[in-house]
Amino acid sequence: MIYSSELIKGTLKTIVLKLLADNKKMYGYEITQRVKELTLDKIQITEGALYPTLHALESDGLVTTETEFIGKRVRKYYSLSPSGKNKTKEKVSELADFMDTMKFLLDIKPKTA
Amino acid sequence: MYQLSDKQIDYIFDDISARGVEMESLQQNLLDHICCIIEQNLEANGDFENFYQKTIKTFYKDALWEIEEETILLLTFKNYYTMKKIMIISGTFSAVVMSIGIFFKFMHWPGAALCILLGIVISSLVFLPLLFTLKAKEKQTIKDKLILGLATFSGILISSAVLFKIMHWPGANMMGLTFVIIMLVLYIPLYFFSGIKNPEAKVNTIVTTIIMIMGCGLFLTLVNSRPTTRNLSDSEIEYLANDEVMIKNESEKLNKIAGSDTSLTKSIARAEEIYKICEELKADILEYEIGYKSITTDLKGKNILVSNALVNNLFGSNRELYEKKISRLDKLIQEQRIYCWLEKVRLTKKEEVSRPQILFNSSVLFNDFDFIYYNNTVFGAYKNISDVQLNSIEDLKEFVELKQLLNKQPS
Repeated sequence: MIYSSELIKGTLKTIVLKLLADNKKMYGYEITQRVKELTLDKIQITEGALYPTLHALESDGLVTTETEFIGKRVRKYYSLSPSGKNKTKEKVSELADFMDTMKFLLDIKPKTA
Repeated sequence: MYQLSDKQIDYIFDDISARGVEMESLQQNLLDHICCIIEQNLEANGDFENFYQKTIKTFYKDALWEIEEETILLLTFKNYYTMKKIMIISGTFSAVVMSIGIFFKFMHWPGAALCILLGIVISSLVFLPLLFTLKAKEKQTIKDKLILGLATFSGILISSAVLFKIMHWPGANMMGLTFVIIMLVLYIPLYFFSGIKNPEAKVNTIVTTIIMIMGCGLFLTLVNSRPTTRNLSDSEIEYLANDEVMIKNESEKLNKIAGSDTSLTKSIARAEEIYKICEELKADILEYEIGYKSITTDLKGKNILVSNALVNNLFGSNRELYEKKISRLDKLIQEQRIYCWLEKVRLTKKEEVSRPQILFNSSVLFNDFDFIYYNNTVFGAYKNISDVQLNSIEDLKEFVELKQLLNKQPS
């Protein structure tokens, strides 16, 4: 099952921030691949959603970038800024809290009961 | 694993640009991303062209530039909302503070000026520029943006003009006049001719234009930027000069008949001070208005102009001094009237004797001065002071004459 893009849209910032917190520095393609890998293909981040989000995070000062030349092309690595680190904790705990609320709201029983 | 050549990389880069992606960092991101996908997924001897076209299609729904559009939207979205928030907060705040200030001003409570100042400064320096920035984004043509800019500038100008006016700072009338000129010569024609072309907005445009012209007219009356003038006729000069002569004569007569009576020393001194202050005020007023210190028959035929400028303009520049003089004059005249009345009552032993109104409502006289001070024209103030001066002399003279008359009669 692949999740709908609407579900992913609201959580994309959190996903990207958490990945950067765990991996120091990453580039766009790497992020999409890592998410695919970790979620066993269930979450596939589209390019059309990822890059706008990365640019927004950069302009908010939550991530910093460094560029590396790979032959003729440029690769942009993203890493967390100090304020990004705080924001990540905030975002992750917010999402965890949200998931608890949703479980309660939608009356979802744990699968392994 | 496929190995991309430099030529192929250039090809991809050009294609991304050709598809409408203009932001450099986004171009680089997408280029690297596509290269990674191709290198990872295409076999070493695969068909590059075909594979690339297939891959790039998975990036978007309708066109590649959607990604750039989404990026720009996300970047401006946040700013847009903060700006909108600040605009609404500053607008509400300045409106509330200004209303409080105006209420305080009416009640003569302290802090009114500060509130009004704060309100006007915030509305003209924060609210209006933000409103302009946000609205300008919505307007498509340069002409529309220009109209909006003019409107904002006019708004700032008018609020500053009002501020300067109530703070008695110089330049208020100049700003008010500039505002009216900008409105009438630039803004209203631009607004009218750009709006009239749109069939849907035609009626609205006409109505709004008429209301704006009416507003400018009303404002111009308020600003009173050009006092109308009239010539003082020879007969009026003659009349006023005669008044001056009469005041002088009556004053001299009073001194003559009362001079020897030592019991009157105090009231005569008071009368002299009243006379002196009135003369000073009149001299200032006349010099300001007509350039001469007094009105004599010599001025006949000299083309003397008087305006409908308010006396506030004259007093405004040296308010404290005039306020002091006028309240002193007010106090002296009240004392003199009460003294004359009490003495007359004492002499005749009848309470009804020309009882001055002043005793029962002491504000009546003061209001006379208020009127002189704030709302009267410069020339009207001159006439008022002349009247006050003559009345006070006549009042005392009447009492002195009565006193002397009674003294002559055998008791």
